[in-house]
Amino acid sequence: MSALHIRHLCHRYGLTEVLADVSLDLSAGETLALVGPSGCGKSTLLHVVAGLLTPSEAEMQSTFRNLSCVFQEPRLMPWKTALDNIALGLKALRMPRPARRRQAAELGVRMGLSMDDLAKFPHELSGGMQSRVSLARALAPRPDLLLLDEPFSALDIGLKAELYRLLTEQVSRYDTAVLMITHDLMEAVRLADRILMMVPEPGRLVREFVLETPQEQRSSTWLYQTTAELVMQDEVRIGFGLAEGEIPLAGPQEHARHAGCAI
Amino acid sequence: MISLVWLRDGLASALGYLWSGWGAITSLLLFCALWEFGGQVYGDLVLPGPVATLRQLSAMFESGAALPELAISTRRALYGLGLALAAGTVLGLVAGRSMTAAMVSRPLVTLLLGMPPIAWLVLAMLWFGMGDATPVFTVFVACFPIAFAGAMQGSRTVDNKLRDMALSYRLPWWMMVTDVHLPHVTSYLFPAWITALGTSWKVVVMAELLTTVDGVGAALAVSRTQLDTATSLGWIVAVLGLLLALEYLFLEPVKRRVERWRTEAPR
Repeated sequence: MSALHIRHLCHRYGLTEVLADVSLDLSAGETLALVGPSGCGKSTLLHVVAGLLTPSEAEMQSTFRNLSCVFQEPRLMPWKTALDNIALGLKALRMPRPARRRQAAELGVRMGLSMDDLAKFPHELSGGMQSRVSLARALAPRPDLLLLDEPFSALDIGLKAELYRLLTEQVSRYDTAVLMITHDLMEAVRLADRILMMVPEPGRLVREFVLETPQEQRSSTWLYQTTAELVMQDEVRIGFGLAEGEIPLAGPQEHARHAGCAI
Repeated sequence: MISLVWLRDGLASALGYLWSGWGAITSLLLFCALWEFGGQVYGDLVLPGPVATLRQLSAMFESGAALPELAISTRRALYGLGLALAAGTVLGLVAGRSMTAAMVSRPLVTLLLGMPPIAWLVLAMLWFGMGDATPVFTVFVACFPIAFAGAMQGSRTVDNKLRDMALSYRLPWWMMVTDVHLPHVTSYLFPAWITALGTSWKVVVMAELLTTVDGVGAALAVSRTQLDTATSLGWIVAVLGLLLALEYLFLEPVKRRVERWRTEAPR
């Protein structure tokens, strides 16, 4: 089974330490959410995993072969139609043109885009459409590791719910591992199997929450309750600046179990 | 289905392009009207009107005098321009990739752009004599910095976020070139190329006027000594016509084709 293991990851920009001794594991079919306030090094960590950034120090081992990223902004190529944008990853895998266009069109339609939309250039599409294209582009090569950098933060609730559904469907079908960044706790509770809380200065992991309720049993009531309980945790309150206090620098990482509502 | 949509859009944009030509023709005709007015005020000896000029030009074509000279000038301009565009674009793209190269070349580009072509022409005459090489070299030197600056600017401004995205998808190097860099750079290259095209014609005629015995420039020198204003204007119109044809029948449609992603689709 594919897995990603990171131990003692440290990264500095100049003299500023942005990540200090971060360790995490992620295996196939698992969804891991990184939550934390802005500037706590979440994006840096994601860039390291994506291979866009070489950390100052780290022991990293990954057996995932095929990873895709969805960024905060859609980052579509303005000179390619929606269809060709979706097919980008397939082109990189050297799939022949007719095949990759057919596959991209299929996926695009499943994402709620019409054939007419697919022939348009990104600037002719609405923001929501662009997000769909961006997600479709990431899913098209059937990645075994999907990295999401707050891709849903600028969308309305209805569209969010729809993209969540498409994402979870795809993830369970292909046993994809997901590493997602969010500062929306409810989103993390909805999608993740585990939630890692990060705090800044220096960026580090302070607490891990495990959600054992399977995806399909997560009702709205459960979501609200669990999110509320999560917000009551000391690390979360202090981390997001809701309460005064200090989080010890190298505390033992405890694991809180989330079986139903009780923590 | 998709190809049908594209066919429709392609047809629409071609018709749109042709239709937009009316504006250009109107402004050209307005210019001709002014010219005609000037011709009537000053008389045929000083300023022959457009009709007289075109009559003279067609006579020049019929006698077989015009075509060979135009061909010679075109050849020289395009040789120099081709060399300048190739070298300037490639070097500019490379220079744009490196901060150091960009910093080193910026003042050099300013220097080259500021140097008057006539100064180069004098040097070229000393180096290459009175043959073909002199106008070709002068055109090359005049057009090179334009292409270089455009290409460097284009390759310096490639969006880093798009590059990161492309890297995270593990695009092979050739796709980084064809799918990420080139489409962006093209939007900087085309205006530079069009400017260089205009420059190449101006410079080739000037170079020929002073150095060679054939070509449009040399023919202009002859018509000047004979005080034949109509023939001079005929040559000028011929050169401008060629320039307009190259730009609007070749470069502009190509530019529209590769940059159709910029145009707003009718809603």
